[in-house]
Amino acid sequence: MIRFLGKGLLRDAGRSRMPVMVVAIGVALSVFMHAYVHGLMQDSIEMNARMRYGHVKVCTRSFAENAAQMPADLSLLDVRALKQQLTAHHPNLQWSDRIQFAGLMDVPGMMGETRAQGPVIGMAVDFFSTHSVEGERLNVQAALTEGRLPQQAGEMLLSADFSEKLGVQIGDTLMFMGSTQFGGLAYANFVLIGCVDFGVEVLDRGMMLADLSDVRIAMDMEDAATEIVGFFEGGQYNDAAARRMQESFAADFEVVAGDPYAPVLLRLKDQDDMGQLIDISGAMGLLITFIFLLAMSLVLWNAGLLGGIRRYGEFGLRLAMGETKGHVYRSLQVESLLIGLLGSLIGTVLGLLFAWWMQEKGLNLGDSMQNASMMLPTVIRARITPVDFYIGFIPGVFATLIGSLLSGLGIFKRNTAQLFKELET
Amino acid sequence: MKRVRLFLGIFLIGLAVMAQDANEILKRVDANLSSDNRKIVSALTIQGKRSTRRIESLSYVVGREQSFTEYLAPAREKGTKMLKMGQKLWLYTPATDRIVLISGHMLRQSVMGSDLSYEDMMDDRSLSQVYTATMTGTESLGDRLCYVLDLQASVLDLAYERQRLWVDAEWMVPLQQEMYAKRGVLLKRIRMDDVQRVGGRWFPMRMLYKDMLKDGEGTLFEVESVNFNIEIPEHVFSKASLRR
Amino acid sequence: MKLAWLLAWRNLMGAGLRTFLNVLVLSFAFVMILWMEGVMVGWDQQSKEDMRAWSIGAGQYWHPAYDAYDVLSLTDAHAVIPKETVRSGLVPVLATQASLFPQGRMMPVRLNGIPSQQSLLKLPTAALDTTMDAIPALMGTSMASKVHLNRGDRVLVQWRDRNGTFDAMEIELVDVFQTTVPAVDAGQVWIDLSVLQELMMLPNEATWLTMGEATVDSERMAPFVWKPFSELTRDIDAMIETKSSGQAVFYVVLLLLAMLAIFDTQVLSIFRRQKEIGTYVALGYTRREVVWLFTVEGSMHAVLAALLAAVYGIPLLWWQSVVGFTIPMDTEGFGMAIAPTLYPVYSLGLVVTTFVLVLITTGLVSYWPSRRIAKMNPTDALRGKIQ
Repeated sequence: MIRFLGKGLLRDAGRSRMPVMVVAIGVALSVFMHAYVHGLMQDSIEMNARMRYGHVKVCTRSFAENAAQMPADLSLLDVRALKQQLTAHHPNLQWSDRIQFAGLMDVPGMMGETRAQGPVIGMAVDFFSTHSVEGERLNVQAALTEGRLPQQAGEMLLSADFSEKLGVQIGDTLMFMGSTQFGGLAYANFVLIGCVDFGVEVLDRGMMLADLSDVRIAMDMEDAATEIVGFFEGGQYNDAAARRMQESFAADFEVVAGDPYAPVLLRLKDQDDMGQLIDISGAMGLLITFIFLLAMSLVLWNAGLLGGIRRYGEFGLRLAMGETKGHVYRSLQVESLLIGLLGSLIGTVLGLLFAWWMQEKGLNLGDSMQNASMMLPTVIRARITPVDFYIGFIPGVFATLIGSLLSGLGIFKRNTAQLFKELET
Repeated sequence: MKRVRLFLGIFLIGLAVMAQDANEILKRVDANLSSDNRKIVSALTIQGKRSTRRIESLSYVVGREQSFTEYLAPAREKGTKMLKMGQKLWLYTPATDRIVLISGHMLRQSVMGSDLSYEDMMDDRSLSQVYTATMTGTESLGDRLCYVLDLQASVLDLAYERQRLWVDAEWMVPLQQEMYAKRGVLLKRIRMDDVQRVGGRWFPMRMLYKDMLKDGEGTLFEVESVNFNIEIPEHVFSKASLRR
Repeated sequence: MKLAWLLAWRNLMGAGLRTFLNVLVLSFAFVMILWMEGVMVGWDQQSKEDMRAWSIGAGQYWHPAYDAYDVLSLTDAHAVIPKETVRSGLVPVLATQASLFPQGRMMPVRLNGIPSQQSLLKLPTAALDTTMDAIPALMGTSMASKVHLNRGDRVLVQWRDRNGTFDAMEIELVDVFQTTVPAVDAGQVWIDLSVLQELMMLPNEATWLTMGEATVDSERMAPFVWKPFSELTRDIDAMIETKSSGQAVFYVVLLLLAMLAIFDTQVLSIFRRQKEIGTYVALGYTRREVVWLFTVEGSMHAVLAALLAAVYGIPLLWWQSVVGFTIPMDTEGFGMAIAPTLYPVYSLGLVVTTFVLVLITTGLVSYWPSRRIAKMNPTDALRGKIQ
C-alpha cells in the first residue's frame, strides 16, 4: 500500500509538489537555524577554547593560580611523558603542549642596535610536526593578512597592528627577549614570516606566534611547557566528559597532594568566566531553538491542513467509488507521512547544505567590530552538529501528520456529495 | 649649674661629632667599596622556587659611571655582555648578535631572575653623595661590632629614601644594609660577609640580596677575585667591545 | 474597496484553524523580533548607563599621555587640575601603577585616587573618609576575591612616587562594592585622592577628570583632552552591533517561516476559489482588483497577527521590561559593562518599524501567488476549470 501511495504521490505532482516543497523549505530553515544558532552561541566559546583554554587544560597548580601573569617558572616539566600518559588515558582527545609567555620584541637598526621595542604576548604551538593540527586549530591561515605560516626554525608571526607599530616588514629579523623558566635571560632572533589579524584586540595589540621548538630553546624549556591543552574529537566541548576526567585525574596521574607544581586538569568551564558563558549560551541556544521549532511546527501543521483540504474533491470521488471513509483517511495519513518524510529529507539536505555554506563562508561582521576589545568572533558561522541531521524530522513529520490528521477529519464530517462538489472547484 | 651647662655642651658637641662621624664613616665605606677602576670575577646564585642557578661573570668597572660585564657560565649565558655608559645600559647576546638598549620599564625588570633590577645597577652615585648619615648606636652582628647608621636621602630621585647600614667598626665595610620605603616598610635587605683584605682595603666577598616583600631565598653574590686600580683599556667601554 | 476588507475578513474567519495558525506564527515572529530587539536596546542602554554611573559620567578629560590599556603610560600621565573644575563638579582621578603583596605573592594593580566626597560616581567613596593607621581603600568584589581579601583585611601595597622613590604601606579594605563595570573592578584599588596625591607627591594633580554634564571647554581644561561619552562607549556599540547582526539572521528566518505559511495558504486559496474569481470578473471587477482582493486578504494576516500579538505580547513584553531578562554571567573577562539583568526597552519606532516590515513582507507574499489570477481566463475560472 505504501508503494502504491508513494507512486501516486510521485505521479500526481499536484498532490505532492506543494506540500513537499513547503515541508522541505520549513525543515531546511529549521536545520539551518539550529546550526546557525549553535554556531552563533558556540563560536565564541570554541574560539576561546582553541585560542587559550583548550576543552581541558593541564598545567601546574601554581600556574593555574597565576595564569594571568603567564609565569614560565611555574611550567610543567617532563611534558613528553605526561603527554603520553594523557594520550594513553584519554585517547579520545587530542593533546597539544603550548607555551604562553610574555616579553619584549626588539627591532634592530642598521648596526644591530635597538631601533624600536614593544611588549609582546606570545604563544608557542606545534607548527612543524606533520601530524600537528595546531595551526589549523588556531585558524592561523585565515588570520594571515600577509606572508605564510612558520615552516622552519626561527620563523614567527606577529599581529599585523603590532608589526605596523614596530615598523617592520615580512623578512625582517627581530629579537625576542624575556625570561627563561629558570628566570634567566631568554632571547632569540626570529624572522617575521607573516602577519596575523585575529580580530581580537587583546591579541592584535601585540602578539607573536612561533613554533614550540624555537621557543623551547629561547626559554630554556626543553621538555617543558606552560600547559597541555586537550580537545575532544569532533571539536565540541563536552562538559560531562571533562568533569569525569577531572574527577579521576588525581588518581590517574598519582598527583601528590599539596605539591604546588603538581599537574592539575582544568575544564574549559573552570577557566576565567568561560563557565557562565557556556551555561548562558547553552540556555539561549535552547530557548531560540525551541521557539523556532514551535513556530515551525505551527507552520507545518498548517501546511498539513492545507494539504488535506486541497484534496477534498478527490476524497469525494473516492468515497463515491466505494472506498470507506476510514480507508481514505488512513491513506491520507500514510501519504502525509510520506510527504513529511520526503520533505524532511529534502529539507534536511538543503538545510545542511546551506548551513555548511554558512559554516565555511561565515557571515563577516568584521567592519563593525574594529574597536571591540574582546574575544568575539568577527565572522559568524553556522556549526553543523549531529542533531542537525534529525532535528528537522520532528516538526517535518509530526507537524505535517497532525495537520493532515485534523484536516482529514473533514472526510468524516462532510458527506460524500459535499466532498465530491469540491472536485469541481 | 655650671657643671650642667658644661655637660650639656659636651653632649651637644658629642652629638655633632657623632653626626660628623657618621658621614665620615659613610665616606670611608664608599672608599672601601668603590675605586677608580677594578676587575671583578663573581658568581650570582639565584635561589628559585624549583631550582638554583649560578651565573659567573667578569666585570670591569671604572668609577661609578662605566662598567662592562661578560657572563662566563653557565653555557646558556656565556658570552652575553652588558655595557653601562652613564645612564645607558646595553646588552649584547651572542646567539642573536644583537645589541639591545635596556630602557624604560625594562630597567625595572630583574637581572637574570635575581632580586636585583637593572635599575639597581644603574645608580652612579656613591652613598655619601646622596645620603646624609646619622649614627643611631652600635650593635653586634655575629662577633663583629658595628656602627648602625641611618641614611636619609639628601636628593630626591632615589629609589630608597631611607636605608640602614651596619658598618663594621674596624673594617669600615657594611655587614648589613636595609632599604626602606618612605613610610618605613622594609623592602630589601643585603647581608655581607667573608670580608677580606684586598689591595689595601677591606672588601666583602659575599652578599645576600633579599626582597623582603616576596617569598624566596634571595640572591647570593660571591666575589671570586677582585683587583683594584688596574689598567683597563679605554676601548673596553665601547659598544664595539660588546661584539668582540 | 471597503468590500475587499469585508470579504477578506469573512474569508479569513471562515478558514478558522488555518488562519489562526498563520496568524499565530506571524504574531510569534512579531513578538519575538520586538522582544529580542528590545533586549538589545535595553542591554545597550543599560551598559552605557552603568558605565556612566560607575566610571565615565557624561564624558572625561584625559591627560594626553594616558592610555587606558597601558599601565606604563601612568608614569607620565598626570597634570595639575585646572582651577575651574572645583566649582563645576568634575571628579578628578589620579592613577598610578602599584604592586599588591597578598600572601607573599606580588600582584600588579592600578592605584586610583578619587575624592572621597564625590557623589557623581556610584563608587562608595564616602567609606574612604575615615582615619586609621592604614590607607582606607575600596575594591570591587571580583578583585577582592582574586586576592582573597574581605572587608577589614589589610594588605601591603607598594608604589613609587613622582621621583621613583619606593614607598609602601598597608591598605585596609573599608568597603567592597559590587559592580557590572569591570573597568573599575578588575585590577583596581581605590583610595582617597588627597591621600594618593600626597603619597605620590603630586599635589592637586590628576590623570583624568570625569564630568557630570557634557559641557566641553577644552581651552580651559588644557592639557587635558576631552573624551566624549560616545567614544568611551564605542566597545559596547560594537558588541551590540555584532549581536544585532547575528540576530538579524534569526529574524529573517523567522519571518521567512511565517511567510512560507502565508504563501502556502494563498496558493491554496487561489486554487480552490477559481469559481469565485471567475464570478468577480463576471461581476465587472477588473483582474487587478481581484488581485488586490486576494492581496488584502493575505495581508490581513499581518493585521490580525499584530492584534493577536497585542493580546499576549503587550502583557508579556511589559512583564519582561519590569522583571528583566537575567543573564547569569560574570562579564569581567569581557572588560566591559554588561548588565546581568537586561530590561528590554521598546520604542514606538521599533513597534511601528517591525509592524511595517511584517506588513510589507506579508503583502508581497500575498501578492506573489495572486498574480496568477491576472493570467486566468475568466470563463474557465468561472467554470472552475483547473488551469
